[in-house]
Amino acid sequence: MKKYFIIRVINILITLFIIATATFFLMKQLPGSPFDEEKLSNLSEEQRMEFYARYGLDKPLSQQYVLYMKNLVQGDLGESFYFKGQDVSTLIKNRIGPSALLGVQAVLLGFTIGIILGIVAAFRHNTMWDFSAMIVAVLGVSIPNFVFAALLQYYVGLKLGILPVAFWESYSSSIMPTIALSLMVIALIARFTRNEMLEVLQQDYMLTAKAKGVPPFKIIYKHAIRNALIPVITILGPIVVSLLTGSLVIENIFGVPGIGSLFVDSIKVNDYTTIMGLTLFYSAFFVLTMLIIDLLYGVIDPRIRISGAKE
Amino acid sequence: MKKTWPKMMSFLLLSLMVLLAGCNFSGGSKETVKKEEGEKPVESTDGKSGSVLNLSLDNDIPDLNQVKTTDAISFAILNNVMEGLYRLDENNEPQPAMAESYERSEDGLTYTFTLKDGIKWSNGDPVTANDFKYSWLRAMHPDTAGSYASILTDYIKGGAAYAAGESDADSVAIEVKNEKTLVVELIQPTPFFVGLTAFVTYFPLNEAFTTEKGNDFGLTYEGILYNGPYVLTAYDQAQGVTMEKNPEYWDKDKVAVQKVNMKVIKEQSTALNLYEAGELDKVYLASADVNSYKDSSEFNTETEFRTYFIQFNLGKEPFDNENIRKALQLAYDPQVLTDVILNNGSEPAYGLVATKMAGVDGKSFRELQGDVIKPDIEKAKELWVKGVEELGKTPSIDLLTADDTVSKDTGTFLQSEYKKNLGIDVNLVTQPYSGRLDTMRAGDYQMGVNRWGADFNDSITYLDLWNAPSNPHFRGNYFNEKYDELVNAAKSEADENVRIEKLLEAEKILLEDGIVGPLYYDGLSYLQKSNVKGIVTHPYGASPDLKWATVE
Repeated sequence: MKKYFIIRVINILITLFIIATATFFLMKQLPGSPFDEEKLSNLSEEQRMEFYARYGLDKPLSQQYVLYMKNLVQGDLGESFYFKGQDVSTLIKNRIGPSALLGVQAVLLGFTIGIILGIVAAFRHNTMWDFSAMIVAVLGVSIPNFVFAALLQYYVGLKLGILPVAFWESYSSSIMPTIALSLMVIALIARFTRNEMLEVLQQDYMLTAKAKGVPPFKIIYKHAIRNALIPVITILGPIVVSLLTGSLVIENIFGVPGIGSLFVDSIKVNDYTTIMGLTLFYSAFFVLTMLIIDLLYGVIDPRIRISGAKE
Repeated sequence: MKKTWPKMMSFLLLSLMVLLAGCNFSGGSKETVKKEEGEKPVESTDGKSGSVLNLSLDNDIPDLNQVKTTDAISFAILNNVMEGLYRLDENNEPQPAMAESYERSEDGLTYTFTLKDGIKWSNGDPVTANDFKYSWLRAMHPDTAGSYASILTDYIKGGAAYAAGESDADSVAIEVKNEKTLVVELIQPTPFFVGLTAFVTYFPLNEAFTTEKGNDFGLTYEGILYNGPYVLTAYDQAQGVTMEKNPEYWDKDKVAVQKVNMKVIKEQSTALNLYEAGELDKVYLASADVNSYKDSSEFNTETEFRTYFIQFNLGKEPFDNENIRKALQLAYDPQVLTDVILNNGSEPAYGLVATKMAGVDGKSFRELQGDVIKPDIEKAKELWVKGVEELGKTPSIDLLTADDTVSKDTGTFLQSEYKKNLGIDVNLVTQPYSGRLDTMRAGDYQMGVNRWGADFNDSITYLDLWNAPSNPHFRGNYFNEKYDELVNAAKSEADENVRIEKLLEAEKILLEDGIVGPLYYDGLSYLQKSNVKGIVTHPYGASPDLKWATVE
């Protein structure tokens, strides 16, 4: 177990290093600079280079890369080009809160409703329950969440006036974006759970449990769900990462000061340090989530024991 | 194993609570939370009605460090919490603000500003002439300046050398005679200089305060010292600002609004929903929404000093041929572009210098010049045939535009006009924002859609662009001695009437040589609540100005 863990951590560091390197060089291929190029176009080539030189952008790429990596190892993500005077780490710290709150709520809501829908559909296979649950699932996958968000905003926010139309001012501000974000999760989880449940229900051990006289609730809870959840956990990783790190469109629609729009905007304005900082943050978050999920398998299914496999 | 589930759930709930604590809802005492809090009276409808103004910003706030900042959003905020020597009124005329008056020397080169009595910073310190000198030097010094340094160094004597790090502060011609007197010497007569002092980069700074704050200057609302009609009481780059009336402001009796909220809303449709819900007092419209609101009494438009135009590249075939250039310049109707395609309040352009830009004696440049380039299909056809004959072949033509919706629509419009009117196929080449600029700087284009937004109210900002440009490719490789002479003569001319004559002639030459094809003067459509009055917007620089705003 310990050995496995160490190997995984080394792998993670290598992965992050490769991502940082690739992003750095790809990003520098973007046309333009972090400055107002329209104004700079009035300068001669030399004057322009002089201006870039103030920010160290005139140096050869390899030098810029070494310098960046040196700072990175010391935990310094640098200063944003666009939000002048702001450290990238401060920017991320300020923006991650709202995105993470929405993400966690959307995951919790999506999982709860999705699993319940999936179980109901599987146990009432080929009945009205099944069909309605699957209609919800298909709609959830096929309606883009920004359309749903815009509809929510217009009807619930503006017409009914129950919840705030937008802004980030109190807990109620987070309700509509959470619902909009969770739609996709509900749909995915419901379909996955249903299919897995159907398969599990046909296993011999279900028959055994029934024959033993285990009460139906216990059968579902102890035998069916736990076995059906294993594949569901697998898709948990990407879902958690994409939700917790924010959704650009949902954040923009509801005026949430989150991290999703920061990422897209930083690419638009060539804010090099912010692009790098956020990419690394996203990647680190992703690989860590994957690690946690791999460890979770063992909790849910004792058959998958990491240490037992190799030693 | 069973026990792990409740444990996990409580762990999740705990982390959710930690998150909630850490996600800085801006609510608290704000009036817009009233829906949930219920019992709280709504500030904007209680006894003191009309004291709150709610506006939106269309993106995050990048930088409130006045000497460095370059973007319209930061300008919109700073213009209301700070004040320069002069402040622009609703007609874009500079009115005395921190300054009481100025004197200009005979040759138009030396300005002596006298400051008002009783002007104060928000901490009670007096605003002195030295605060201006300190700030202006800071805005030019290579270590502290941003990309707007040129708006000082282009005019103030000794500024350019100081900005390049070649000389020290003493060689810059800004002199503090005494606490109330500031003397500035200029490189050449600049009739719009007083207007420039209303610009953000020219605002004063309190030296003691700025030094004390160091690197934290401008990062929080406590990190700025104010001298304008309002002060900031909340500032979050991603959420917006709250401003409150400045009790130390010299003209505070004229400020009727107690509190202004400016909130970041990036999505135009959301802003419109908020406006409909009564949470915003003014909203800019997307062109798709214009038709639904056109007849509303709350609908209005405003134009900006920003002209879109086609740049023909004389360095590339076939635009080294004047007839071809002229043919493509005359073969489209800008009126169709603005009315049908853009439909956002923009005005068709028949000249280069933006509409309403100052000329002389209260008349605008456009009023003095009139329309220079009017679409003329018949003539365009003639010129095209002639040009093709001279070339000996039908040229293939690429049109370069940026890849945003408006630019692409403009490109498609031109393509169809050329097809319809001249019977030629023009290829559209679209590139990302910076890609287009790079391509044009490298001279690797035949014709491209370009634009120029003015920072000050004078036609020289346009006409100087083609006067021996630092990057000739970007300006179409146009070399005309007569043109350069006219613009240079205008720059050193102290007599405003003679000066404007030269500038008018220069624009005519540029257009008639077929160097640029005017497209439109950029405009905006907006809705504003009928009980809100006095929001002054300017077509350039720092806008809006909320000093005179009222909410009835």
